[in-house]
Amino acid sequence: MKGIEMKTKNLVHLELRDLILLGIIIAMKVILAQFSFGPAMVKVGLGFIGSVMLGYIFGPIWGSVGGGISDLVSSAIFGNQGGFFIGFTLTAMVGPLIYGLFFYNKEVKIWRIIAATILVTVIVNIGMNTLWLHLLYGVDFKVALIQRLPKETIIPWIQMVITYFVLQAISRVKMYK
Amino acid sequence: MSKILIGRYIPGDSLIYKMDPRGKLLATIFFILIIFLANNWITYGILIIFSLAAVYATKLRPKVFWDGIKPLIWLIFFTSLLQLFFTSGGTTYWKWSIFTISSYGITNAIYIFIRFTLIILISTVMTLTTMPLEIANAMEWLLTPLKYLRVPVDKIALVMSIALRFVPTLFDETVKIMNAQRSRGADFNDGGLIKRAKAIAPLLVPLFIESLETAVELSTAMEARGYRGSEGRSRYRILRWSKYDLICLGYFVILVGLLLVFRTR
Repeated sequence: MKGIEMKTKNLVHLELRDLILLGIIIAMKVILAQFSFGPAMVKVGLGFIGSVMLGYIFGPIWGSVGGGISDLVSSAIFGNQGGFFIGFTLTAMVGPLIYGLFFYNKEVKIWRIIAATILVTVIVNIGMNTLWLHLLYGVDFKVALIQRLPKETIIPWIQMVITYFVLQAISRVKMYK
Repeated sequence: MSKILIGRYIPGDSLIYKMDPRGKLLATIFFILIIFLANNWITYGILIIFSLAAVYATKLRPKVFWDGIKPLIWLIFFTSLLQLFFTSGGTTYWKWSIFTISSYGITNAIYIFIRFTLIILISTVMTLTTMPLEIANAMEWLLTPLKYLRVPVDKIALVMSIALRFVPTLFDETVKIMNAQRSRGADFNDGGLIKRAKAIAPLLVPLFIESLETAVELSTAMEARGYRGSEGRSRYRILRWSKYDLICLGYFVILVGLLLVFRTR
């Protein structure tokens, strides 16, 4: 198991082994995204854990590629709930990109988790996804925001707690370092 | 955690099944694009007729389409309702502090409702009549132009097919690990926030270790079978265009023509 090396110099080139691992982690993200937990009012989907893992293990570049592929794969298997739209694929790419910038090859720190989660929430969930709703369905931007804000002010905090435990757990698996 | 359905494909043999997955994928994307052309009752009516015709052409029971919309129906309804209350313009019928019901708001809300439903309906036609592997192949084909931007499309295709292949396997594995942890007292659906967040780790770590092992084994197996990178390889699964794709294209030409004629400028 030793020798799977993912140093910064390998940011662009990936070995076959790592490509396969990327594929499997994407599969994991697709499965996790099907699960959610919490009371009915604020269901927290677990897909973000997949994004965190992609960013943490593969870095911003391959992480975001993986995020994009995960969107394609989940639409192929489960059907894309919002319809096939390139915007949602872009959204799926930006999450792991941000997580990658904050977590890849870095020590797990609480401020990093807080900053990354807030950035993802603001840019991806509030910004981009609202924009797509506006563009795709013609929903008023303000209306789409009103609909999303309550959920997006609660969920990030839950995500931070989960991200912390996930990163703690994953970083203990040192095999790929 | 409830059961999930892997793949939504329903076997059948109507015309839509005979189309090339690339044709279906392009048609779906194109439909979502031309929905922007609709801006009055007639054009929305035309789109509704066209999508119902597509639904009918699949020869599947209407219930399977309803199942596709059902999980989202409240979201669609809620969004339309918000749109109704927060849009003003035209004749105002009712007003209370920031909420208004106006003629403009009503039509807008209905348009949004129709748009949501049609987009979901057409996407559902696509996923119900095409196998996931075929959709993935079609997506791969659609990514080919990115080669000119030096994007490693072959690698992306490899990663995509591996992910696709491992979703069911990994899902079984997840259930197995959960049951194993449960049998020794783990509880995935109870306790406070921190407790639940912690409960995810005993699930993810074995899954992750399992993934690492699979990656090593599979890469060894692939290299043993002569895999030396994605370039210079032949293809076993080949997609073929059919005459039904041409017919579909013809319908789209008519549809776009009608929309352009009847839309208000």
